[in-house]
Amino acid sequence: MATTPLAESSAASGWQRRLANLIQPIVLLLPSGLWLTLLLVAPTLLILELSLIPGFRLGQPAGSYGLGNYLEVFQPVYLQVIGRSLGFAVGTTIVCLLLGFPVAYWIAIKAPKHWRNLLLVGFVLPLWTSSLLRAYAWITILRPSGLLNTVLELFGLPGQSWLNRSPAVLIGLTYSFLPYMVLILYASLEKLDRRLLEAAADLGATPQQSFWKITVPQTLPGIAAGGLLVFIASLGDFVVPELLGGASSMTVSRLIYNQFLGATRNWGLGSSFSMLLILAVSIAIALLLKYGDRSAARS
Amino acid sequence: MSQTVVQDRDAAQTDTKLDVELRKVFKVFNGETAVRGIDLTIRQGEFFSILGPSGCGKTTTLRLIAGFEKPTGGEVLIRGKSMVNVPPYQRPVNTVFQSYALFNHMTVWDNVAFGLRLKKCSKSELQERVGAALQLVKMEAFARRFPAQLSGGQQQRVALARALVNRPTVVLLDEPLGALDLKLRKEMQVELSNLHQELGVTFVMVTHDQEEALSLSDRIAVMNGGRIEQIGSPSEIYEHPQTPFVADFIGDTNLFQGRVGSIYGSTLQVITPKGLEILVKSQQAWADLPSQSKDVVVSVRPEKIHIGASESGESINCYEGTLKHVMYLGTHVHCVVELRSGDSLTVLQPNQSHRLPELHSVVQVYWSAADCLALPV
Amino acid sequence: MPPTNPRKFSRLSPSPRFSVARRRFLQTSAAAVSGIVLSNCARNLSNNTAPSAETSPTADGTTATDSKTLHVFSWANYTDDELLKNFKDQTGISVVVDTFDSNETMLAKMQAGGGRAYSIIFPSDYMVEQMIELNMLMPLDRSRLKGIDGLMPKWQNPVYDANNAHSVPAVWGTTGLIFDPQRVQEKVRGWDYVWNNVDSLSRRLTMINDVREVFGATLQYLGYSLNSTKPAEIEEAYNKLLEIKPAIAAFMTNGWEDQLASGDLQISMAYSQDAIVLMEESPNLQYIVPESGSSLWTDTMVIPKSAPNPDAAYEWINFMLEPENSAKLVERLKFATPNEAAFNRLSPEVKNNENLFPPQAILDKCEGIAPVPQDIADLYDRFWTQLTST
Repeated sequence: MATTPLAESSAASGWQRRLANLIQPIVLLLPSGLWLTLLLVAPTLLILELSLIPGFRLGQPAGSYGLGNYLEVFQPVYLQVIGRSLGFAVGTTIVCLLLGFPVAYWIAIKAPKHWRNLLLVGFVLPLWTSSLLRAYAWITILRPSGLLNTVLELFGLPGQSWLNRSPAVLIGLTYSFLPYMVLILYASLEKLDRRLLEAAADLGATPQQSFWKITVPQTLPGIAAGGLLVFIASLGDFVVPELLGGASSMTVSRLIYNQFLGATRNWGLGSSFSMLLILAVSIAIALLLKYGDRSAARS
Repeated sequence: MSQTVVQDRDAAQTDTKLDVELRKVFKVFNGETAVRGIDLTIRQGEFFSILGPSGCGKTTTLRLIAGFEKPTGGEVLIRGKSMVNVPPYQRPVNTVFQSYALFNHMTVWDNVAFGLRLKKCSKSELQERVGAALQLVKMEAFARRFPAQLSGGQQQRVALARALVNRPTVVLLDEPLGALDLKLRKEMQVELSNLHQELGVTFVMVTHDQEEALSLSDRIAVMNGGRIEQIGSPSEIYEHPQTPFVADFIGDTNLFQGRVGSIYGSTLQVITPKGLEILVKSQQAWADLPSQSKDVVVSVRPEKIHIGASESGESINCYEGTLKHVMYLGTHVHCVVELRSGDSLTVLQPNQSHRLPELHSVVQVYWSAADCLALPV
Repeated sequence: MPPTNPRKFSRLSPSPRFSVARRRFLQTSAAAVSGIVLSNCARNLSNNTAPSAETSPTADGTTATDSKTLHVFSWANYTDDELLKNFKDQTGISVVVDTFDSNETMLAKMQAGGGRAYSIIFPSDYMVEQMIELNMLMPLDRSRLKGIDGLMPKWQNPVYDANNAHSVPAVWGTTGLIFDPQRVQEKVRGWDYVWNNVDSLSRRLTMINDVREVFGATLQYLGYSLNSTKPAEIEEAYNKLLEIKPAIAAFMTNGWEDQLASGDLQISMAYSQDAIVLMEESPNLQYIVPESGSSLWTDTMVIPKSAPNPDAAYEWINFMLEPENSAKLVERLKFATPNEAAFNRLSPEVKNNENLFPPQAILDKCEGIAPVPQDIADLYDRFWTQLTST
């Protein structure tokens, strides 16, 4: 907080100003600081502690500290679950990017200006409904006698049976998180300096070359941010794999839920999974920040 | 103003090859006409400037040549080839943008190499040409930097190198020095001029800075309201403006509305509504001599006016007035004289203050009949 | 109010929170999802007419000091507005009902101190045992209970709580298969059908989303105890389950109803309570308890040690045990009561509903799910994770 020259030359005595300078940040930061400490830092530390007590269960005497919970994570069955979750998250991110980019590009660059907000609102509208309802809507669409097959039959196409399998999870996750991707990409594309595209064309780049050499690199921070958000959100998503994934729907988040609220109530193991999930997400964010910094230095 | 479209007779008469040709080009944006039927020919190797106030359509004209805009009517030709359906990336022109439009995610080197890489230039040739281009603009030491790490002048040089490295037929410059401070602008003007002479490439520059246009250009087109008012060499434009707008826009001038009284050979007598009688002598034959009773505008450059104490002894174009205002400009003194008629006159005198009468004193101003122009309205 | 028909709600909103559900463990995916946090489940069942509905306690017990208010923590649809109104008329005590959708969620909330407002809870059998172990339940003073002797003999001394020292059985039921007889290949008598028709079932079977129910049914099918603690038997059940994996569409406790009616599903494993409610609407469906047996579950009423208002809790239990009240509630909500005196007052139509009250021969094969040692619970959980992730 820089004191303005005006403040310095004002009649206010020195100690008053120093006091104000001391109090102001505290007053400004206290609410959010308390909030973060109470609701983010403290629970995370608690989970960290639980994760270091092998086999910790509420209501039972706690054992001694150890890394048993983390070692257990490396059992093949859990690795498989982690792999599946990562697969869904990566897949969703890619599909969202592939679907979201053209849409965001069209809204930000091609669509008439006065339509843009309307189009965006239309795209974000699904976010206003419960994710549970959206998942159920997809069940209605994807089930064997559902809307999709009815339409496919109408055109003489073979019916699909995606429900309760991975494709349904990908569809559901993509549907859930595509709006976020579009919003972030839109923000990024809207800021895109069109003169750069003209400059590229001027230097002999076809529209396609301009896209790959200018538009994509210029919006890379947006692509990274959108991709990361979708990745994190779909990695932690619980509803969609659970409702659309069928008999093989176990994901990390569900596994954590099971450890905390399921029959075994192994809070220690659940905590170690939580910590690993937090770690994975933190690494992803750190990568983004690092990348973001670099691109900020360039612009 | 119902004057006919300015014909670029001058250029058309010569045998020199043409690089850019605009034929009756119109451009309409959402019902607003930005360019109203422009005819323009730009010769090979020429430094051509399009000068005009903001909103006059000069940038649009440049963008029509570059291909970023499609003409609503008329035709753009480059080296005699119609550009009607040629997209920007296939035109043999390169642009230096007003804000440089450097690719901030690439190094200086990659920015300059961008065009050559697209043309699948061989590696060794690319190295050589990019190196040479950077050397040309004295930026070879900055090849590995990113644009954000450069000053405005340095960015300007990179933008120039990026355009020149492709050896375009025509280099288009859109207010190339507009973002630079005065000192740097002067420096870059010299460098631009040197570059142009060195390379012999056609430069087409858009600017609102008359001084820049006058000092750099071989020829200038003055635009106003989507039309070209006059095309000519800097001295022609300055000394012989053909319209009141050009006279007013280029340099300072004093304008008097009036009507042709009588004509004596090459000398006109113009009478203003306030009763001033001005004699105008044309050095060249009137292209279309204003006839009697025709409305004209008389233009007198401030530096052509003499100022003196009473009884200067002059008989023509000599008027009495009060010295209202004096402003020292260093080498010159800027005076405002209010004539008896009520007209206000701007006078620019060399700084020889001992000759200057006192403020608020009665003075006489006078100028030679050959030093003023009568312009058709 | 006519008999509650939650299916009407579930049409509008498939969220099973509205459906009459017999829920244990992690229950329906959706409900579990909605309760992903230590769900406060502060949905008031009698949300429009209960006089004190607006003062629903969420986490703390600040409203609980009022002796004229009783906070009840229950499964959905074990009470209705009429019951609460009658109770208030008779005792002057207002009741606020909050619901939970899994025993574990309820336990977590109570352990975390978020349930101090409640004086009555409805845990299931095995959870009663667990809560007794955790020393969370108030021993019941039998002298203050009226009508406890009217319970059916089977519930006079249940395995999970000797002599009902801490709990009073309130609702019971079975777990079985529900299907449309027109759509299956042959007569369905039990799990045989599933293992013999894996190809034709091809992802048109749903099973309850609960490790012990699924493994229990398989263990019984293999001839073992539903509560097996032998690792070899549990692994055998796991391998057996792998055989029918291609037939399983999903593990879901609720949410299969529409798809079963439309034929997208052929068979669903369901709690009797859910099946009965659905069959009210779709009489073409049939519910069976598998030949090999099923789980027999009991939901009870208990008073937690933290109860702020035990007097009102006793009033509530006595009111629920009162045969006339109980019988009327069963007629309205269609659940199986362990209260013999109430059973005797039921209309023949309800009394003879074999889905509600299966014949003794079937009941003999049913077992209650009993807690297993922790290492065995972990083993079940690991096999469950494996089963649901391959």
